[in-house]
Amino acid sequence: METMINYDPTFAEEVFQNVDAGEEIKMCMNCGVCAGSCPLRHEMDYPPRQIFSLIRSGKRDEVLNSKSIMLCTSCYTCVVKCPRSIPVMDVMHGLAHYAIKQGILTRKLTASFGGEFWNQVYRLGRVDEKDLPRRVFFSQGLVEGIKSMLGFMDIGIRLMLHRRMKLLPEKKIKGIESMRKMLDKAEKLGKGGTVA
Amino acid sequence: MKYFLYWGCSLEGTGANFLVSLKPVSEALGMEFEEIEDWNCCGASVSYAGANDLAIKVLNARNLAVAEAEAGYDIVAPCSSCYVQMIKVNREIQEDPDLLKDVNSCLAEGGLKYNGSINVRHIQDVLYNDVGVDKIKQAVVKPLSGLKVAGYVGCQSVRPYGEYDSVNKPKVQDRLLEALGAEAVPFPSKIKCCGSGIFLPEMNYCMELVKNILEDATKHGGQLISTVCPMCAMNLEMYQERINKAYGTDFDVPIVYLTQLMAVAFGMDMKKDAALNYNIIPPEGVLKAAIG
Repeated sequence: METMINYDPTFAEEVFQNVDAGEEIKMCMNCGVCAGSCPLRHEMDYPPRQIFSLIRSGKRDEVLNSKSIMLCTSCYTCVVKCPRSIPVMDVMHGLAHYAIKQGILTRKLTASFGGEFWNQVYRLGRVDEKDLPRRVFFSQGLVEGIKSMLGFMDIGIRLMLHRRMKLLPEKKIKGIESMRKMLDKAEKLGKGGTVA
Repeated sequence: MKYFLYWGCSLEGTGANFLVSLKPVSEALGMEFEEIEDWNCCGASVSYAGANDLAIKVLNARNLAVAEAEAGYDIVAPCSSCYVQMIKVNREIQEDPDLLKDVNSCLAEGGLKYNGSINVRHIQDVLYNDVGVDKIKQAVVKPLSGLKVAGYVGCQSVRPYGEYDSVNKPKVQDRLLEALGAEAVPFPSKIKCCGSGIFLPEMNYCMELVKNILEDATKHGGQLISTVCPMCAMNLEMYQERINKAYGTDFDVPIVYLTQLMAVAFGMDMKKDAALNYNIIPPEGVLKAAIG
């Protein structure tokens, strides 16, 4: 289908400029091996190959609102299989990050999970495995939060009984302040945020 | 054999049975571990939702820089996600001087500098290539005779670089299982993804992935599934009941860490060393039958 759409380089330029690993798609020859190798391809609206074509045809909304870019399991299969050595996974992560920064939340729970994960890293330097799901669940609202917590109580209790839950809250690492300064600088120096 | 052990956040919680069993096993094999001073999380595979790529690189470079300044030993990561995050950043830094410059300009905010001299290794790599199958065989006092194990390699312990094993047909874990006297059953899904870090938020999509893996393992005769990744272990073990309900299956397959099997085969204590009581689906039955 996408071959019938005219090329429009505007959005592709935006991707090259602002999206981490965005320039890698220049090497894509649309063979579809990435799509064939992806474990969640059957749940995607556009497989990676098509996402790349849509970028080249200037379909900004379709790409950034696509659920595909949020469904990467980070299994590296596409990275290993791509005959042009494109780190497809990195491009998908870059697009997901870029879409979320524009406020597009196609997969709310997944965006919240990843976002909260990073918040914890930034706040503590480590991840608190019991605190993370709680924050994610309640980010969906109080009622949804309570429902989800109850739904996962069986798993939580089992983990606790089998000594697989750290009971004390995770403490900040000693060098937290200096770590944050490093990360702040990286956020400024790196790509991934601004709209062209 | 001295290494930095970077065990990461999960091995203090949901993957505790991995760390508890790894310690006595590695000691018995003559490996010495040091902790990286004040280490931070690797960012795992989902941080891209909140951070740009450079921030995630700098996060990992902080650990690398501290390790380099402290002693420069190889870093061993038992958790596959920690391993892949760290080796990826390390390789990219080593191959790209401009990136190293950017990373160092960020590290300088905290008075650190990285020169790119550290090696990042997976625990399977170290067990197979540094310790070796022969030494492991010598340590076995209770061979896991007749035990059929499906060796689940997962994704991030071999991909993308294939540093120590094939990315398409990995064999290291099977060789290690055989060294313990177990039978590594053929298991085509051994490198299929379990859903990894997005399993929890995308459970409706990822349950099928786990179902297929469990089905393949049991179909080929696996009495239990071994793994070297806390995320794989969690996804494969914790949701079997939900999967049974959703698909009408009857899975009840124990999921054990390779190091737990090693502790058992080395004749160590089933609880204190092998941490089998940490498992939700009990593996004691099949293991006791195997060691007699």
